[in-house]
Amino acid sequence: MTATVSIETLNAPPPRRRRTGPGKWTWLLLAVIAGILLVWEAAVSWLHLVPAAFLPPPTAVLASFLELLVDPEFWQAFAFSMQNLLIGLVLAVVVGVAVGLAVGWSPVLRFTVAPFLWLLYSTPKVALAPLFILVLGLGNESKIALVFLLAVFPIILNTMEGAVTVPASLVNASRVYGVNGLALGWKVILPATLPYSLAGIQRGAALGFTGEVLGEFLGGTGGLGHMLEFAAYQFQMDEAIAMVIVMVIIANLTLTLISVLRKRLAPWYDDRQIMGRS
Amino acid sequence: MTTPTAERDEPAASAPLISVRDLTVSYHVARTGATLTAVEGVNLDVHEGEFVTVLGPSGCGKTTVMNVVAGLVAPTSGEVLVDGRPVTGPGPDRAVVFQDYALLPWRTVFDNVKFGLEMQKHLKGDGWRDRVQEAIELVGLSGFENSYPKELSGGMQQRVGLARAIVAEPRILLMDEPLGAVDALTREVMRDEIEKLIAATGKTVLFITHSIEEAILLGDRIVVFKSHPGAIKEVIETKLARPRSERSVQSDPRFLELRDHLWDALQAEATEAAVAGGS
Repeated sequence: MTATVSIETLNAPPPRRRRTGPGKWTWLLLAVIAGILLVWEAAVSWLHLVPAAFLPPPTAVLASFLELLVDPEFWQAFAFSMQNLLIGLVLAVVVGVAVGLAVGWSPVLRFTVAPFLWLLYSTPKVALAPLFILVLGLGNESKIALVFLLAVFPIILNTMEGAVTVPASLVNASRVYGVNGLALGWKVILPATLPYSLAGIQRGAALGFTGEVLGEFLGGTGGLGHMLEFAAYQFQMDEAIAMVIVMVIIANLTLTLISVLRKRLAPWYDDRQIMGRS
Repeated sequence: MTTPTAERDEPAASAPLISVRDLTVSYHVARTGATLTAVEGVNLDVHEGEFVTVLGPSGCGKTTVMNVVAGLVAPTSGEVLVDGRPVTGPGPDRAVVFQDYALLPWRTVFDNVKFGLEMQKHLKGDGWRDRVQEAIELVGLSGFENSYPKELSGGMQQRVGLARAIVAEPRILLMDEPLGAVDALTREVMRDEIEKLIAATGKTVLFITHSIEEAILLGDRIVVFKSHPGAIKEVIETKLARPRSERSVQSDPRFLELRDHLWDALQAEATEAAVAGGS
């Protein structure tokens, strides 16, 4: 279990590659996408194989998408979702890194608390969503709680893995040169663990966004998930699909942002080195 | 360079700087519940300014002895005195050079060397900057102050480790197979450099190695360890003139005599260890 998750999350960042511009694969990919869109458009608009009410053609989806971008209601929903996501993620990062460091660093906690963390990590927390909404209401609180719950475990567990794999000689060197106790945590363990934590945060952000949308979906008064649900409920499939595309874009932008952050915060970070150690 | 031409001062009658007394260290192995004795009954005196090399097969406990002197490991019984006082933890009078360099990958060369001064919490003014710069120059890394460890070769990384160790001007340098992970050519160059550096600074050195040539080339005395359990097998004075260099020493009959002797000693030890390990 341990190995599976850490390798999966640490594999996430792509190896640094020389930028060669759009290669032949990029063109092939674009051609495939264009082909799919064309078949889709043809099947719905020209051949009428599927009723447009169930599956609107790409042109209708594009029109809805553009409409959304100028709709103040959309931007309101966007702000609602992003605010909850941000608050939930910040809480998850603070708690996740602190707990992860403590558990990773203390053998006692590692043998007592860590098994429960793994258990909770593997529990389908999505199942708890209705309970959260029941207890915390339809407003922001239940969404923030869901974001936190989904995001915090990958952050804790990755930070823990990172703290465990800090080389013993680094700790010994710190003690020899007079760094102890809290300073050891601050000056050595935390920076040594940072690349691992950031990998966990990246994963946590993706899961947290799912939590936010899910919360809004199940019982919300606002947000992108709520808007998506409303559109689907009203059978405006073009708007619903446009909303899904918006969410895909948001999720990917978030991941890219954290990747950039990781390169800035941990310029010494070397994938191969970390892979070798874990 | 103002190095003594003969071997360095004979150990004076004064109190030794490092005194290892009847040291035994055993570990409790949680997995098997067994107790593992790393070293048993080690006695060793090292005098100020002496360069002592510790030679032995892997797993003979030589690193454990060094870790006790460094204050990283507590003795199970016996004690280590430094300057007459029992060692209870690390101190600014002792610095360690690690086999795997143990540099902080997020710190530049300059900041890694500065790390060696962090024991002295009351660094005032800019004086420490000069000291860091001096140490970097001494190990020949000028111009690399802003490089990160991963941008340096193994040999250069170990120079950083060396600079970090000497920057706080400790009386004792503890070196745990510092050239073990460095490529062969660099190793030969760095041996000579360490020899010069130590001669110039007059530090007391405990140098762990599993290279016979290295032990002879650098040491005033060679402490040979045996394993199962780790203990001192014999102590030999090299009695070779300084300054020594790889070239000058290797044709010296004394060097050849020592090498043959140590070779036989380690060979016997390795055979015994293999038999003990096999039974």
